[in-house]
Amino acid sequence: MTYSVELRGVTKRYPGGGGEPVVALDAVDFAVEPGEFVAVVGPSGSGKSTLLNVLGLLDDPTEGQRLLGGTDVTSLSVAERTAARKESIGFVFQDFHLLPTLSAVENVALPTAFDPGDATDRAADLLDRFGLGDRLDHDPSELSGGQKQRVAIARALINDPAVLLADEPTGNLDTETGEAILAEFERVRAEGVAVIAVTHDPLVEEYADRVVELTDGVLVGGVVDKGRDRGGDEGVDAAERDDTGRDDAERNDAERDDTGRDDAERNDAERDVTEDRRPVTPSEER
Amino acid sequence: MSGDRNWSGWLRGWRPAVSMAGRNLRRNRVRTVLAVLGVCIGVLAVAALGIFGNVLALGADDAIGDIGTQVVVSPNADAGVESLSEADVAAIRRAVGEPAVVPLYTDNAVVGSAGGQTFATVYGVEEPGLAFEAADGRLPERHRRGAIVGAGIAEDLGLDAGDTVEIAGRQIRVVAVLAESQTFSPVAPDDAVFLPESAFSADGYNQVLVVAESGEAARTAADGIREEVNAREERVDLFELAAVVDEINGFFDLLSRFLLGLGAISLVVAGVSILNVMLMSTVERRQEIGVMRAVGVTRRDVLRVLLAEAGLIGAAGAAAGTLLTVLLVAGLVVSTPAVDIDLVLDPTNGYYLLLALVFGVGVGLVSGAYPAWKAANERPVEALRS
Repeated sequence: MTYSVELRGVTKRYPGGGGEPVVALDAVDFAVEPGEFVAVVGPSGSGKSTLLNVLGLLDDPTEGQRLLGGTDVTSLSVAERTAARKESIGFVFQDFHLLPTLSAVENVALPTAFDPGDATDRAADLLDRFGLGDRLDHDPSELSGGQKQRVAIARALINDPAVLLADEPTGNLDTETGEAILAEFERVRAEGVAVIAVTHDPLVEEYADRVVELTDGVLVGGVVDKGRDRGGDEGVDAAERDDTGRDDAERNDAERDDTGRDDAERNDAERDVTEDRRPVTPSEER
Repeated sequence: MSGDRNWSGWLRGWRPAVSMAGRNLRRNRVRTVLAVLGVCIGVLAVAALGIFGNVLALGADDAIGDIGTQVVVSPNADAGVESLSEADVAAIRRAVGEPAVVPLYTDNAVVGSAGGQTFATVYGVEEPGLAFEAADGRLPERHRRGAIVGAGIAEDLGLDAGDTVEIAGRQIRVVAVLAESQTFSPVAPDDAVFLPESAFSADGYNQVLVVAESGEAARTAADGIREEVNAREERVDLFELAAVVDEINGFFDLLSRFLLGLGAISLVVAGVSILNVMLMSTVERRQEIGVMRAVGVTRRDVLRVLLAEAGLIGAAGAAAGTLLTVLLVAGLVVSTPAVDIDLVLDPTNGYYLLLALVFGVGVGLVSGAYPAWKAANERPVEALRS
């Protein structure tokens, strides 16, 4: 099976002030499956934002390979990257980043605002799903933090992305609201979207299927590889978490059966098949 | 990729851009209004000064336009020619063809009546109807008797047709008073008295007036006279005003350009203020633009939104400025009776109005282009970094 998003030996260097370039990512291998919720943790300045930017096609790697749904997207033109972001990637930010001049429903439809056809109905449906059906025409200033973040998640989902990238999604929310937002991520994940959240928040780690740690640009447990145990203890840890995550997903699936979400089922089925096959990690390939 | 994009698709992309632009402009109303005001004043300056210069030029053209249609032929004293004979007049007639040829005797005399007396040019003319029009009385086809009095003299001396005027001691009946001359003519008919040729005992004409329909015809006539009458010997001097008219028109052309240039400077200042507003606004909205780019809005569409903002400022300012110009000109016409309404309503003034309108929108787009391009091309990673 193919990963939703995958980095193979990705290094990102920035020109430093002195002459020594700053290494923000150091030969990072990272892969996320559809329907997997991965939390990326690490101290400030460890390269978490860079990782998210590279994953989100906002920034290009200096070295290494980047794949989106199995397609190499390492070096795309600006226009191609924009199109790929719009099609396959949803962003959720710590500061919500809603456009203050647009209503909730218009913010959700923003990625498609310049396309033919009207996405208002789809946007309204999404908001309705996030419990904001009665706030469609509210301006962001009239919404609470949690509501804003729900609008932002809906915006990220408007084009049915393969990957949802979240940068400290609960950073500006109180614990209770943060938990509610994480529950929304859980639902998104269960629909087969790969969710990657960069965070400091232990709460996010609780909800994640897998937690990977980034320290000084080095990522531990980026690729699940239970058989070969190449990540050491951390890797096993992550794999175990992964398993529990699966259980969660299955439980969720069972819950969802009533509502009949076929996508999620199919994804789960796919995952089951691949469990035996074990993904080949890029480092082994080379 | 964008090659097969058709017109309607192109237009459709602008609709959301203009809608978003409108909302962005409403966010900081004071700033927007000030920028619009700047364009408004610039457009007002261009349109009003343009129209002002045009009205001046049209007015001058109206006043002096006809002098270019007259050619005055006089004997060339340097060549020993003292007066023009019947043969000369006949030669001139042959040379000019269509235009009317009016030979004149010229003298000066004291003209008097009960209302006073004045010094005037006295012409002897046989066919006054070819060159002049009567305001009172009737111009005889062949001038046999009586005096035809210019408008200025008639007013000074209080003369009407039927009165008697004293010219060089002789009492002569006034058969007609000429209409006030609308044009500047070297003959100056307003301050002249016209008598029959028989009143003069000279043996030749002092000058011949050629009256053409247009400046072009006058020029052709003058060329004809030079070729035919002056072929062997420089018998006549020609006094043509077409060249002078060209000079005067050239001057007014320059004046209008100068005024337009003055207006354009203020429009440029307005453009700089739009540039400033757009730069400030894109810097303030850096993150928002970064978010738009991150969620998949293309550079072109971001550019559209920002260009639409600048274009809207330009269009609103241009519309307001144009309206204000119309009101200003209307006010000028109402308050200043000296301004001829026909000149103000001349269609060429509409051209200046349109020019200013187009310039206003153009200035908006041009000064919005750089900030828009800059903002649209910023990497979203940089823009999102707070």
